[in-house]
Amino acid sequence: MTPERWQQVEAVLQGVLDLPTEDRASFLNNACRDDEDLKREATTLMLAYDKAGDFIEESAVSENAEVLISDLPDLNIGRRIGSYRLLERLGAGGMGEVYLAEDTSLTRLVALKILPEYFVSDAARLRRFNAEARAVSALNHPNILTIHEVGRESGEESETHFIATEFIDGETVRALIDQQMLTLEQIIDISIQVGSGLVAAHAAGIIHRDVKPENIMRRRDGLVKVLDFGIAKSTEQTSTDQIDHSRAFTEAGVVLGTVGYMSPEQARGLSVDERTDIWSLGVVLYEMLAGHGPFRGATRMDTIVSILEREAPPLFNKRSSELDRLQEIINRSLEKDVARRYATVNEMLSDLRAVRTDSAAGITSEPAQPFAHSLASQINNVTVSRRRESIWKTVAAVTVMLLMTAVILTLYLKRNRATVNHIATSPANAMLYKEMNDIERLQFIANQAQRISAMMGDRPGKLNDEALAAIKARVDWYLTKTDSAALEPGAESLDKTHQRAVPFIPLIARSFEARKVPVTIGIYLPMIESAYRTCVESPFGAKGLYQFLPHTAMHYGVGADEMCDAEKMTPAAAHYIADRMAELGEDAQSMTLVLLSYNRGEGWVRDTLRELRGKPDYERNFWTLFAHRDKLDESFRRESAGYVPTFLAAAIIGENPKTFELTTPPLSSLAK
Amino acid sequence: MTTSGETKAVDQVTELLLEWRQGNDTALQRLTPLVYGEIRRIAHRFMQRERDGHTLQTTALVNEAYLRLLGQPQVDWNSRAHFFGVTAQVMRHVLVDHARRRQYLKRGGDAERVPLEDVALMTNERASELIALDEALDQLAELDPRKARVIELRYFGGLSLEETATILDVSVMTVRRDWRAAKAWLYNAVRNE
Repeated sequence: MTPERWQQVEAVLQGVLDLPTEDRASFLNNACRDDEDLKREATTLMLAYDKAGDFIEESAVSENAEVLISDLPDLNIGRRIGSYRLLERLGAGGMGEVYLAEDTSLTRLVALKILPEYFVSDAARLRRFNAEARAVSALNHPNILTIHEVGRESGEESETHFIATEFIDGETVRALIDQQMLTLEQIIDISIQVGSGLVAAHAAGIIHRDVKPENIMRRRDGLVKVLDFGIAKSTEQTSTDQIDHSRAFTEAGVVLGTVGYMSPEQARGLSVDERTDIWSLGVVLYEMLAGHGPFRGATRMDTIVSILEREAPPLFNKRSSELDRLQEIINRSLEKDVARRYATVNEMLSDLRAVRTDSAAGITSEPAQPFAHSLASQINNVTVSRRRESIWKTVAAVTVMLLMTAVILTLYLKRNRATVNHIATSPANAMLYKEMNDIERLQFIANQAQRISAMMGDRPGKLNDEALAAIKARVDWYLTKTDSAALEPGAESLDKTHQRAVPFIPLIARSFEARKVPVTIGIYLPMIESAYRTCVESPFGAKGLYQFLPHTAMHYGVGADEMCDAEKMTPAAAHYIADRMAELGEDAQSMTLVLLSYNRGEGWVRDTLRELRGKPDYERNFWTLFAHRDKLDESFRRESAGYVPTFLAAAIIGENPKTFELTTPPLSSLAK
Repeated sequence: MTTSGETKAVDQVTELLLEWRQGNDTALQRLTPLVYGEIRRIAHRFMQRERDGHTLQTTALVNEAYLRLLGQPQVDWNSRAHFFGVTAQVMRHVLVDHARRRQYLKRGGDAERVPLEDVALMTNERASELIALDEALDQLAELDPRKARVIELRYFGGLSLEETATILDVSVMTVRRDWRAAKAWLYNAVRNE
């Protein structure tokens, strides 16, 4: 068809579409006269239009939103690295981006992991990593992901370090747990296969150290593969034989990202052996059965306390011999004392195999039922926050959990005050801040600051005297603000703040969870601060309780005149923080940066981070940066000098509502 | 009030738009990742907020991307129009590219080895149809460039009739008529063959 012809056809088509159906035939005859082709083409298009219905009416973006979101404009696609050509991005994790790639020399598909820049730039770490990966690649076991190659390629500007492994067409156990489709039989089978892989590795002297559902994949044919073997070790910064507690927490948190699967000895920073993997496998087994892990907490700190101090809640109410034996296996894997745990994975395996044999012999009924699902009603009624539930049900469940957590934690903290103080703070904590002298106060603040950083997932550096003095000045100021009642300064207004925060907690927890961001503490602080602070506008235009730029607030649905309204700003801030932290990914620990970005605009987080990463002495630690402000540029220095101490001071006050005696739970522990 | 980083990005986008308008095609190539990155992030947030299957409001999305990349709402309709033109092209490119890769993967190995995430994101039929639509749209552009633009702006760019009319500097009635003729033509080309 030529453009001219199309014009003719279109003219007839437009004419006919303007008419009601009954008038169309005669119009076509008149308009086309003897031109049968014209008539046929116009008729075809007319009929096509009538049939088209919703065709292309919904915009492509709406129809393909998921694609748009997941599909990065990835310059790596099509790129050649060594003998591999990248086809598709499969995902990203702490250890870099993973691609589906074609091995052009062998025409097979592989998964290619490209190590991130920051990782590669640390020569010592890279050496350890390479050594470890090579050791693992020597392992040859069906349940261990095969490493094809650990390599690097030099480009014009930079070097690319990569690992090529076999490509698994299947799902992670994380996904399987989320889908709630695992049968009891499958759960036992997966555990046995993971165990077999671990046995082979342990025999070669390799400890996994990071067994978790994300690191286990099941192929469609049922074969299970353990990934990222032994790699966790090489990501550790230093040997952690003898370090103090607060440091152990954050080191561990930084190393592993998820702390829920960590053994107590790992959490303590002690040296580990193969029994640490037994513990982690026990946690995974528990989670596959229950749909949630045995040790949970709103923050890493809370989870770690739970791992160290609490027994895993028993799984089953309804008893059968089979379930009893599974419970026993879990109990023996989750012995906090390594000496009482299974000594080898083989022991655990033979118990698991025994359960499987009995199960296959038909001792239990209904093996094909999705297990966690049928179990859910038995276990306990507060574990309902699954994504298929409607929102309000989730809210209800979260609220129930909150209340329960609050009660449990209150009891727990009362009972274990000595322990908690030992772990988290100095002995000075037992003394009222108001009764301390200035030196004691500074000491107290130094300890609290470390503790709060750890709770936020940041790696605390030692604050310098100037920083400590700045924080102290603000804590002192807060206390004068609240010194109306003689006996319990601050309690009344903090309780009020607390009460104001509670309704938002489910929302805050959801917004963080949706983005898989573990830290929730930051959001309470402005709530706490709002009890003391008047709502002001800063010279550079940041306004209100959270000192957002109006521009930023607008993005999150809050008008400039609403910025002093805590009810409006809190949800906005929750989303903002969660967004920024999700954006930071690997650097999500850098909470300080996020908080500073309130009044700098959101793009600033990204840009600053990029800039800082390029510095030779960059550490993922902004408390340290605050302490060594000579490393910072002028504007960052100015801002951190104001906001960081205020933030910490508010946190110190807010975390210990009843004048630091820890008789009520920290706000941050209430989030889940 | 904006940071130096943001200011720089805004300047960059404005400048690239200008270059592109003046006929520099490489400017579009450089704009694409900027625009797409922004749209993707905003889309992500929208989806997080509306997790229970609400559809994405494309217009809102593009408008937000515009605000973020070009700063405050500007009265400069020209640059606004060009920006929307870019976003429509970017989205077309991204979606069709994804569809092609999906087809490639399907051909390249046995179907079972296509990664799972991909399966969930776009069905094979959807991918073939998008590719067919893209090709048909190219043909339509040769016959009737304005109608192809209308489809691109509305279908890929998510714009309303009114916005499309403003950008193409024609009446709403014209857009409406272009739309229905082009829709008939494309449906015939994609589905009737």
